[in-house]
Amino acid sequence: MSLDYVKFSNGFEKFMPKEYRDMVEHGPFGKKVSVSQMGSFKEVLEEHPMCAGCAMTLFIRLAIIAFPNPEDTITVGTAGCGRLAISQAAIPFVYGNYGDQNGVASGLSRGLRLRFGDKPKDVVVMAGDGGTADIGFQQVLHSWFRKERFTTIMLDNEVYGNTGGQESGMTNRGAVLKMAPLGKKFEKMDMLQMAKVAGCAYVATVVPNNPRRVESVIKKAVLIAREVGSTYIQAYTSCNIEYAIPTDKVMEDAKTVENDRYQFTEYVSEEAKQYLTERYGYKEFLAKPAAAIPGKA
Amino acid sequence: MYLVADISVEICAAKSCKLCTQYCPEANTIQYSDEMGKDRGFKYGSAYVAVDRCKGCAQCVWVCDNMAKNNAIKMIMIDQLPMAALTDNITYGEKSTTAVLASPVVG
Repeated sequence: MSLDYVKFSNGFEKFMPKEYRDMVEHGPFGKKVSVSQMGSFKEVLEEHPMCAGCAMTLFIRLAIIAFPNPEDTITVGTAGCGRLAISQAAIPFVYGNYGDQNGVASGLSRGLRLRFGDKPKDVVVMAGDGGTADIGFQQVLHSWFRKERFTTIMLDNEVYGNTGGQESGMTNRGAVLKMAPLGKKFEKMDMLQMAKVAGCAYVATVVPNNPRRVESVIKKAVLIAREVGSTYIQAYTSCNIEYAIPTDKVMEDAKTVENDRYQFTEYVSEEAKQYLTERYGYKEFLAKPAAAIPGKA
Repeated sequence: MYLVADISVEICAAKSCKLCTQYCPEANTIQYSDEMGKDRGFKYGSAYVAVDRCKGCAQCVWVCDNMAKNNAIKMIMIDQLPMAALTDNITYGEKSTTAVLASPVVG
């Protein structure tokens, strides 16, 4: 929770594994790193047991790089594939019981504000579509109605990938899965609309085949959640196992799905726009100068 | 034996787009070195693979072939690689990394 968080205890430096030494000396703590510098600094995320070629892992890797202050961030997760990678990062990870991650994050966020006052401490929930839209639905929605100030990220792989391929609320209508052999009979839940109705200050959809966009979306969501209110990001992170996507075609699938039904959308409330502009110097929300009228000097 | 990604320094150092490292799902697996191409007279540095971390998904191959259109990455059986980068032999600098290549099987 501070720059002192990852450091050597006196006398132990030479006994620490190489990965730990690299993290202390060349990690992103206390520096500004970006996606364009990837491959030249030690990342917060370490080796993890997720499947080869998993798009969710790529998204998590990009998201953790995009955190504005990784040393002041706590991630909260729940059962599902994502926690296998998130818990392998050198930032604190709280594992909620299935479905209560947004309740845990609410308490955590309030507690950190009481303890640290104005010093920003970011809480980011990263859970799957089952944890967010099905089993954790009640707590997710209530945290939004209460305008709890933390970020909720849904890793939407459109299936219960960890337990063998059951349909989730976010599975598309008609999708046939190993544990849903007749095909899903209902539409995919519109969580984006629900987030807007519940009063989230920032709502975005993103696909990890555009790393810079993922970085920008995560940064905005975390910054807005510091003061304005709840923020929600829904990321398409395909399950190449349950949807039988060859690993080398995962990005091709992401591109197809993005063009087809997962276009980038971003909703920013007026208050959040003003906050980003005034506090963090964002220029994209400034009023555009009126276009010159042809024929008039 | 199993497949790992292998990046051709000759092709990579000519363009140096860094896309493969941004699309790899594994952290610190496709690394970037400023020196790797320059010692052979190329303008830029090159990306390289820490083969002990590579899971062989070949996502980087698709990105290099179809997005960057460089065709610099091939999947190769790990015992067919004479020399490769390993995490233990990678040192970080201010803005780049340096890898001492070694036998991927023996270490």
